[in-house]
Amino acid sequence: MGSYRRIDCIFFSEFHPTLGPKITYQVTYIRHEFFYVYIITKPELQNKLITVTAMEKKLIGCPVCIEHKKYSRNALLFNLGLVCDARTKTCALEPIVKKLSGYLTTLELESGFISNEESKQKLLPILSTLLEELNVTGACTLPIDDSNTIHLKLIEQRKDPLVVQEYDVPVFTKNKDHFIKSQWDLTTQQILPFVDGYRHIQKISAEADVELNLVRIAVQNLLYYEVVTLVSIFQYSNVYCTTPKVQNLIDKKCLQEECIHYVSKLGQRTNLRDVFQLYCGLTPGTTVRDLCSRYSHQLQRVDERKLIQFGLMKGLIRRLQKYPVKVVRDERSRPPRLYTGCHSYDEICCKTGMSYKELDERLENDPNIVVCWK
Amino acid sequence: MYKQWSVDLNSDAKLMPKQVESSLQPNGEKTSPISVILVSSGSRGNKLLFRYPFQRVSENTSSATSKQRSPYVLNTSGDSVEDQDGDSREQTPLTDEQLVAGFSDSILATILATKSDMCGKKFELKIDNVRFVGHPTLLQPPHTIQANADASVINCMHNLSRRIAIALQHEERRCQYLTREAKLMLAVQDEVTTMTETDGTPQSPFRQILPKCKLARDLKEAYDSLCTTGVVRLHINNWLEVSFCLPHKIHRVGGKHIPPEALERSLKAIRPYHALLLLDNEKALLAQLPLDCSPALVRLIKTCSAVKNLQQLAQDADLALLQVFQIAAHLVYWGKAIIIYPLCENNVYMLSPHANICIYSPLAEQFALQFPGHDLPSMLAKFSLPVSLSEFRNPLDAPVHEAQLIQMVVWMLQHRLLFQLHTYVCLMVLPVEEEPGLWEEEPPLVTRVTGRSLSTPSALSFGSPTSSDDMTLTSPSMDNSSAELQTGGDSPLNKRMTETLLASLTEHERQAILRVPAAQNPEDLRLFARLLHYFRGHHHLEEIMYNENMSRSQLKTLFDKFRSVLVITNHEDPIISLFQSPPD
Repeated sequence: MGSYRRIDCIFFSEFHPTLGPKITYQVTYIRHEFFYVYIITKPELQNKLITVTAMEKKLIGCPVCIEHKKYSRNALLFNLGLVCDARTKTCALEPIVKKLSGYLTTLELESGFISNEESKQKLLPILSTLLEELNVTGACTLPIDDSNTIHLKLIEQRKDPLVVQEYDVPVFTKNKDHFIKSQWDLTTQQILPFVDGYRHIQKISAEADVELNLVRIAVQNLLYYEVVTLVSIFQYSNVYCTTPKVQNLIDKKCLQEECIHYVSKLGQRTNLRDVFQLYCGLTPGTTVRDLCSRYSHQLQRVDERKLIQFGLMKGLIRRLQKYPVKVVRDERSRPPRLYTGCHSYDEICCKTGMSYKELDERLENDPNIVVCWK
Repeated sequence: MYKQWSVDLNSDAKLMPKQVESSLQPNGEKTSPISVILVSSGSRGNKLLFRYPFQRVSENTSSATSKQRSPYVLNTSGDSVEDQDGDSREQTPLTDEQLVAGFSDSILATILATKSDMCGKKFELKIDNVRFVGHPTLLQPPHTIQANADASVINCMHNLSRRIAIALQHEERRCQYLTREAKLMLAVQDEVTTMTETDGTPQSPFRQILPKCKLARDLKEAYDSLCTTGVVRLHINNWLEVSFCLPHKIHRVGGKHIPPEALERSLKAIRPYHALLLLDNEKALLAQLPLDCSPALVRLIKTCSAVKNLQQLAQDADLALLQVFQIAAHLVYWGKAIIIYPLCENNVYMLSPHANICIYSPLAEQFALQFPGHDLPSMLAKFSLPVSLSEFRNPLDAPVHEAQLIQMVVWMLQHRLLFQLHTYVCLMVLPVEEEPGLWEEEPPLVTRVTGRSLSTPSALSFGSPTSSDDMTLTSPSMDNSSAELQTGGDSPLNKRMTETLLASLTEHERQAILRVPAAQNPEDLRLFARLLHYFRGHHHLEEIMYNENMSRSQLKTLFDKFRSVLVITNHEDPIISLFQSPPD
């Protein structure tokens, strides 16, 4: 992970009218002969981002070709590229290379920056600065001349977030107060007060008076930046069970501390044994209500809602959802729409507006419906 | 470990077991190649010899004979898991065809024909959204191409390239196979070029190459296989076999693939008390094996059973335990079997959270065919709450019916619908206020014992098949000093042993344990002390039973006696649950 973004070398290469492809400037030396075909390329590959990995190195470049009668051979070919160790995760560097090639193209078109031998010399110190600043801070702001400045920043790529459902509950992974609210877009600012780790998307939409899809997108955005995570709706009738990760509570001291701090009631402090017993008390068939009556002693100093929340966030426990399935016997009856085994109680209640109790009563009387918990 | 195998399983597309839940997931495409390309580089320049699928319009190619170096390239596109460059975004909406069709033959020849210095090592080239990966060899460098692919998928493709390279290299040395095939390919290309010039109708030369050139057909087959089953089996020059499987295609659970590294880690953690569950019936599996496969493998498949643990299997099949482990790992890697705990009365099963319980799923259909009169959702509903096998069966039922119920459970296990719950125990005493170092002294005890019998056995600790004893179910711990504790009585030796074992705990913990009424009984206390290292939540009941040669009831009684200092929970075994659900 240490060298995951380190750039070993930056080079500027061009096609010399008589000498052919050459590396005009390079900051730190790398053998390039093998890569020429990927640096100064045939027309088909121009303006494409090319990453070649060979011989323990990765080379990223974007060959540019500017055609004009004024150039010898009627075209100017160049490429500004980076070289890293082959194991480097380079996808964050790709937009940088593309942007740099864009900058140089603009500079050339505006003021002949590259074709003019004098101004071209400025490239060497520019490359040095780029290499250093990108490696050290991950960003670089560099004035080139009176009217042009380069702004570059390495941005980490993240995984695409999950789809957010109406019955999902967003909960902040860090302290809400740490956020500078004005940095977020208006929709997010409007819903933020309602993101309390207990309200689900549909409820947030209703109470914040923001359209459902906008809430979904805003939360998805927060998910992307790992500011929130999703848990399920809390009810005392919910059933949970432990996962193998519950043992992390035994193994990891920092998790223990975090847990005790999170789940303890205000002004009180619980202990590891009580908390662990509570989590282990969650089993299939046991509702939260049952837990409360069986472990009332342990719950004196623990907020059960926070307990569940923490457990879900850290993967120590998981929710067992109910899925009604219509076991179709009669060919003539309509095929089931919601009772297919694909939709949980949470989802059905959210979509139809029924309460759990109502849904339970309805299904209990139907002999053709079985319920699966998973 | 797997590269040394002389046994290479074949998988005919027809016999290949169904992809689990693939109808709901679009990920099938992401581990398939986009195309296959063969490029050569020599003194006369670079040539594109063959590519598949064909482009619609052919390019003009100049003639040149291939000499020494001939790169062979495979195009593939991969998963949306984080790729080689750390990119984990979704693939672009461009179709695969569009991505590669954009590259003309001549440009491919240029960029993929590498210099000699790059030979013998992995080579990769990414152009916008298309990735080429390969292994230039001085004679036959294969290249594989992927875009946004998981690093392990790329490595696997590279592996395939390399295997084909080695085979081609061998055949080239023996009878100039590649040179001959390349000549054929170029000749056909020339022919087609000439025809195009006279007729004016553009044609793909590669289509003409296929019927004439075995190597081209092999490459096409590799591509087709990778795209469908993920299993490749070729005979280069009708002689040398190249087998390969892409675990990412084979090991898919709930739509996500199991990374080979995770798979390998799990396989290393298999214990002798685990069992091997075949995913196909015995006959079908045996039919898929090549004629020259090892007799040990055949014997193992024939003797294998869901109720037999690996140690018993070794005994019955007359093989060394180590060998059984290796063959089992091989079968699992090729997607032909999974690891479970052997079926028995007391096993408790529950519905897997990743199980597809939709009535419209293909699994429901298959189940109904296999077990007429029963439907899958009803059966699955019975496992909503954890239920033991003995509870699931009704002792009043006819034996035939009982047997069918067992078969259903096996079927559900094979299709990753159920997983087994195990009991885990943890030592947890009532706390003293502000005791920071509660666990500080625990680790040394645990690490001391893990070096012992709990790891994968070597041939030494389990004996060879020729040794007369030791293939029984007795635990490997018989030879350690705790055996002396079983001599009974309250001898000073035993007392000292107990004290030593308890010495690694904190004073507070020791006191708490000694305060338990059952601790007054020296036998019980001794047993508790001896088993102390299992009470960290990482060893389940069955493992303790196996290692210490104790019965379930003995252990349960002990847990009950010391319940005030223990916390018990049930969950799946994280080691083998990999086969039931995708990792996070």
